[in-house]
Amino acid sequence: MSAFHFEGLVWHWPIAIYLFLAGLSAGAVFFAIMLKHFKLASEAYHSPFVQAAAIIAPLAVFGGLGILVIDLTKPLDFWKILVFYNTTSVMSMGVLVLMAYQVALFAWIGCIFHQGLTRLLDGRFGAIGRLSTRFIQMLVRQEAAITGILVILSISLGAYTGFLLSALIGFPLLNNPVLPLLFLISGLSSGAAATLLGGVLLRGNPNGIEVRFIHGIEIPMILVEIGLLFTFFAGLILSGGQSQVAALNALGYGFWGWIFWGGVIGIGLTLPLAFNLWMKVSADRKFTYVAVTASFSLIGVFLLRNFILYTGQMTGV
Amino acid sequence: METSKRQFLKGCGALIAGISVYTVTKSPLAENANTDASQTEVKYAMVHDENACIGCNACVEACRETNHVPDGVTRVKIERTGPFGNYPNQSYRFNRVSCQHCEAAPCVRVCPTGAAYIDKDTGIVAVNSDRCVGCQYCIAACPYQVRFINPETRTADKCDFCQQTQLSKGLQPACVLACPTQALTFGNLKDPDSALVKLLKTKPTYRAKVDLGTRPKLFHIQTIDGEVML
Ligand code: SF4
Ligand code: SF4
Ligand code: SF4
Repeated sequence: MSAFHFEGLVWHWPIAIYLFLAGLSAGAVFFAIMLKHFKLASEAYHSPFVQAAAIIAPLAVFGGLGILVIDLTKPLDFWKILVFYNTTSVMSMGVLVLMAYQVALFAWIGCIFHQGLTRLLDGRFGAIGRLSTRFIQMLVRQEAAITGILVILSISLGAYTGFLLSALIGFPLLNNPVLPLLFLISGLSSGAAATLLGGVLLRGNPNGIEVRFIHGIEIPMILVEIGLLFTFFAGLILSGGQSQVAALNALGYGFWGWIFWGGVIGIGLTLPLAFNLWMKVSADRKFTYVAVTASFSLIGVFLLRNFILYTGQMTGV
Repeated sequence: METSKRQFLKGCGALIAGISVYTVTKSPLAENANTDASQTEVKYAMVHDENACIGCNACVEACRETNHVPDGVTRVKIERTGPFGNYPNQSYRFNRVSCQHCEAAPCVRVCPTGAAYIDKDTGIVAVNSDRCVGCQYCIAACPYQVRFINPETRTADKCDFCQQTQLSKGLQPACVLACPTQALTFGNLKDPDSALVKLLKTKPTYRAKVDLGTRPKLFHIQTIDGEVML
């Protein structure tokens, strides 16, 4: 049995990338909102980290949806998913959340950068420009509502990436109540990492309040993630039967065992945790430090998505 | 702060209103995903007698021909285990693998467009090709792994008890007619005089993976040949 091709495999790596990007987008938005709310307030628009999140979040969600559409066997019929609904389908509900999320996302970006946008439109584009300015002003008045809705939607989107897989009742490793929570938390941490990486690349201060704030949340989040991973597999092993076989198969041997222990646990969780703890004592954060830690988290989450998707489909009941 | 709270609540209200509109506009085909269609007159089911089956694959070939199933994929498989015993007294076990026409069908539940649906009048689980986008969610969701993408139509496909090709003409499914040993029995579960119900009342049967709550309608009569297995 090879690692990427085996009997019973239905969903391949494009789905893992889609799940990764959707979670990342949700996470980036979530942290940008937290940054604005707790630290930056009206200064948010000129923080490179918030700017990075505002660029990454839409790109990631478009990229993810694009991959999802291309992966259909009939990509040109994708509009049928938008027109026909099935309330019992996690995918159908998820697409709805994704659509609402994108609307709220752009409304929020409009609010945050309203000064710049208004200046850009000022006296240009005639009637359309004036109309857009009015629209942006209207958005700014509703900012609290938009932010609240966007927080709810981003958390729903993060959890949806897990529910999509946990609805597959034939695979004990996927049909697991901890999975949505695990994907939500790891999605949030990938969003945090992408925001940090994008921020320092946009010449944000690697020692600024934004980095300190996000790193402060990162340690508890990594600990929660480790706890969830432990619960996930301990639960499977204690269930016995095929669940146990599936868990031991995934963790025990071969390619995916290496990916899990080396990639997900080692690079993705242990190293960022170690870096973070070590950084607490020594004060100054440098560009390389922030960039490397963030890249490690991103790699870890990306590998986790692939690991769960592939090993999950290996053992049916 | 007060106004922003009120705005937030308004926003949430709008969200809930949106969701309820969405519930109303959902697809009519998907509606009966898990509802009990026990009111109907007809509910088709099938029995495979593993004692009578000789593993000749005539059913598989007849299905391919009748339903124009392309090479490389199939709607029905006869799985063989064995041999048991020593020559010349060797025997095999044969197991039919095809759509179980689950009453609570996971494929129907997960399909985002309602392309996978349960026909209310017959209990047959079928695919509406026009609606299928090929997301393959149903293929992953089916615990019996009997669904596939038809390489010609590029949509999900599987056994539908020959709904279009045979039943519509008043004929039995192609596999049933092709079987040389009458190992397959097809009929209406709601009709107490049907051969199907009579068979189910005279022989003990089993169904696969009932613990998943799928309530399958493909019954198997277990073979007593072979050896005891754990
Ligand atoms: S056996 Fe599979 S394809 Fe057939 S109804 Fe059940 S879940 Fe659907
Ligand atoms: S592949 Fe077709 S039938 Fe299956 S879930 Fe997707 S849209 Fe529905
Ligand atoms: S045609 Fe009848 S005997 Fe031959 S494999 Fe199919 S079920 Fe068995």
